[in-house]
Amino acid sequence: MIFEPIDIEISDLSCERDDRSLFKNLSMTLNSGQILRVAGPNGAGKTTLLRTIAGLFDIQTGTIRMNQSPLTECLQQILYIGHKPQVTKDLTVLDNLKFLTGSDEDHLKRVLSDVGLKGYHDSLVKELSQGQGRRCALARLWCVEAPIWILDEPYTALDVEMVKTLDARITSHATAGGICLFTTHQPPQSLNYTTLELGHVT
Amino acid sequence: MSLERRMFTRELKLIAARPGDILKPIWFLMLVISMVPLALAPDSDLLSEIGSAMIWVATLLALLLNAEHLFQSDFSDGVLEQWLFLDRPLVWLVGLKLITHWLFHVLPLILITPIAGIILSVPTDVLLALLVTLVIATPALTCFSGLGAALTLGSSRSGILGVLVMMPLFVPVVILAAGVLIRAMDGSDTLPLLALLGAFSVVAATFVPIVVSAAIRLNIGGSN
Repeated sequence: MIFEPIDIEISDLSCERDDRSLFKNLSMTLNSGQILRVAGPNGAGKTTLLRTIAGLFDIQTGTIRMNQSPLTECLQQILYIGHKPQVTKDLTVLDNLKFLTGSDEDHLKRVLSDVGLKGYHDSLVKELSQGQGRRCALARLWCVEAPIWILDEPYTALDVEMVKTLDARITSHATAGGICLFTTHQPPQSLNYTTLELGHVT
Repeated sequence: MSLERRMFTRELKLIAARPGDILKPIWFLMLVISMVPLALAPDSDLLSEIGSAMIWVATLLALLLNAEHLFQSDFSDGVLEQWLFLDRPLVWLVGLKLITHWLFHVLPLILITPIAGIILSVPTDVLLALLVTLVIATPALTCFSGLGAALTLGSSRSGILGVLVMMPLFVPVVILAAGVLIRAMDGSDTLPLLALLGAFSVVAATFVPIVVSAAIRLNIGGSN
């Protein structure tokens, strides 16, 4: 599928936490098809920036607009996958995804074999390894049709094969006119992205 | 499948996965009730006099016991923050969650109170009044305990803190319910007090979800 053209306009965004300035007067525009990696040392404010753009943190100063309208009106356009597992340990892989995506079972089963969880449909998430749990959370990228992806450390605990699959998925999302923001400390090899360095503000 | 149905199915599956969440409060209630005749002199007149109040208090405490599960595990798994991206207002989702909590966690407690009544030899008409007060008052109590749970999401020992925060709100409900039980015992009219209790539940169910969703948003904004 092809997404409608979309843009995110960030202007003069600043954030302070515990009297430390994380980023100051950050301005940029993200357009359809863009993949942006937010980089920076630990504590530079990567997660804070992603969570602010996702609408989970209140904006301290500055504005974020999506297609000219305020962020809070556009949250359904966003798919956010954060640090936390984003899945319930006591439920099966399939039940977790059914609740979060609303997709039907056949589609979910196809997706699960794409992300290498074939045969694990009815396993409880707590029985999976960490990487498999992460795959389960990431399986949503194949189900939800949101144009804006915000992924915090999506590559954590993934093996080489899954990293390639994920790169390919992000690329096809961008080709379809979506936007993807992500953070990682290991620059992905097979992905064409631009980088935003945080952590140079004092 | 609509989001509402998905929430209900998820809740049912969670209960199947963690039956202890439902069984623990029931077990607690029955334990308290079965201890009362042992601790008091086995005088059935005294028991039947205080029995209904004992059951009410024990049910209230059992209800508090399971309220901590309301949002805590979804919050620490990060599933709760996903609610903000679903295409329904957060208030609506919170309301649904409180309804499912009442149906699956509170209603079973109410349903076993007749057994507790028999153990404490509570007269049938008082037992009936007790059941009616519980059905009418528990929506308010569920809302208040949900509020306590939501306000204390960020703190590590949220369970008891939430209870302490919400205790003042429980007091009027308990007083009204006690009034109903006393009137039922002397056979006078209970309807006015029941109507007041009902009003309490209606007001709570209307406004508490708004406050709970604000509290959830606040706690999500303060976490990583």
